[in-house]
Amino acid sequence: MAENVITARDLDLTFQTNDGPVFALSKINLDVVEGEFVSFIGPSGCGKTTLLRAIADLEKSSSGTLIVNGMTPERARLARAYGYVFQAPALYPWRTVERNVGLPLEIMGLDNQAARIQRNLDLVNLTGFEKKFPWQLSGGMQQRVSIARALAFDPKLLLMDEPFGALDEIVRDKLNQQLLELWDRTAKTVVFVTHSIPEAVFLSTKIVVMSPRPGRIIDIIETNLPRKRSLDIRETPEFLKIAQRVREGLKAGHSYED
Amino acid sequence: MRIDAARGHAVPVAVVCLVILVLWYLAAIPMNAVVTQPKIDAAGGGLYNTLLFSWNHERPVLPAPHQVAQEIWKTVFMVAPWKVKSLVYHLWITLSSTLVGFVLGTLLGISLAIGIVHVGSLEKSLMPWIIASQTIPILAIAPMLIVVLGKTGLPDIFTKASISTYLCFFPVAIGMVKGLRSPDKLQLDLMRTYNASAAQVLWKLRFPAAMPFLFASLKVSVAIALTGAIVAELPTGAVSGIGARLLQGSYYGQTLQIWAALFVAAFAAATLVWLLGAFERMSWKRMGVKT
Repeated sequence: MAENVITARDLDLTFQTNDGPVFALSKINLDVVEGEFVSFIGPSGCGKTTLLRAIADLEKSSSGTLIVNGMTPERARLARAYGYVFQAPALYPWRTVERNVGLPLEIMGLDNQAARIQRNLDLVNLTGFEKKFPWQLSGGMQQRVSIARALAFDPKLLLMDEPFGALDEIVRDKLNQQLLELWDRTAKTVVFVTHSIPEAVFLSTKIVVMSPRPGRIIDIIETNLPRKRSLDIRETPEFLKIAQRVREGLKAGHSYED
Repeated sequence: MRIDAARGHAVPVAVVCLVILVLWYLAAIPMNAVVTQPKIDAAGGGLYNTLLFSWNHERPVLPAPHQVAQEIWKTVFMVAPWKVKSLVYHLWITLSSTLVGFVLGTLLGISLAIGIVHVGSLEKSLMPWIIASQTIPILAIAPMLIVVLGKTGLPDIFTKASISTYLCFFPVAIGMVKGLRSPDKLQLDLMRTYNASAAQVLWKLRFPAAMPFLFASLKVSVAIALTGAIVAELPTGAVSGIGARLLQGSYYGQTLQIWAALFVAAFAAATLVWLLGAFERMSWKRMGVKT
């Protein structure tokens, strides 16, 4: 029996603003099991990024319980339990690719830095680009560097906040496929935020459909697609059925209304 | 590319220089009339005599450019640099306290900025004082500072350098507060996910990100550090240094000496700024900045 990596029970998160409180998350109940690939999908403002940031202890919940790796999110962050990939690569422009990937290793004082950097650059197919500076790489390559950086210290949990949102569709398809291969090989637990239905269905073992005002979970879908998938799977009836159910969920949550 | 760029600059700069030279020569005629008119008249007047006497008077009100050039040549190249008559000697005296003041001021500015960025209450308590310090005319505070510090038995060079420090910590502090706060939210969040210490965030993120701001501030502060060192030499009646030359020049009506000292000081300031620029380009290369 695989263990829960993330458990949320009746989680609320409210931001106090000058225009009154904003209910970013309301009554969130969620289980993420070890080895799963879980996607949060929903329109802007549905709280999917906020939920991910709460798991990462970048935001504090207002009430309810949230447990990450069997501890509070803060303890989990202090224990460096997860790697985080942001919407933008957020590379440090004065560091070469290898030194960007090595940044967490330097900070955590880990050994075998050169070998770890090499292994993770290899994992994202960027061998040979060690000495390049970020501005010398394309957007897709930069985001792959940031994934290698998140994996560098070998966390069991990978949190990804719309990592491919800024990339064009062709690059995105390719990176999605590479990400799946990487997930399959490393057996990590991945939590992935997106607003693309095909992306969510293609990548996930579990899809969490969310809706705004207040940010809440509408539906949780187990996809049961095979672990190894190619892009062709998107044409199969099973795939389209799941995509249909996601769309229904979004519609039920009034996500398509103004 | 570089040569083309240099050539592109050369023409406008040369034109401006030429215009200034012409205006200067013309201005020297009426300005010096007080002392030269009797001589011109005695020699029989005329354009030739006017120009001859206006541009070659021994103690002119406004010396002609070539007279200043001659004076610089005489006092820089024709005298051994360790002699009191040498401008190089005086420049070195001023420059040494400039550099001491610059280094101390930079360190002070950076330390203040680090404190302000990390401790919220310091911004509210220190900032008004930092700004107030620069609203006091330096000429008013310099003599007091020099006298007070002179009594403490500190070596002379530090007393003089204190004025430079006083002037140049300010742009560094202001620039570095901005620079240390320049990393964006994602870059800072990233450090948070690593549970990085404040010192690690400072060294690995805030400091590198602040480098462009630091260099901009340093260029301003090195120039005013030199001004500060010259000002510091005035109230003490110093016998050596660029400031002392200016003071003596004005006591004894040696305008040539004043102008020569001014030009050498300006040249030194330009060289310091250029050196910092070269240092900046070197560090950009190391930091992989796209050029």
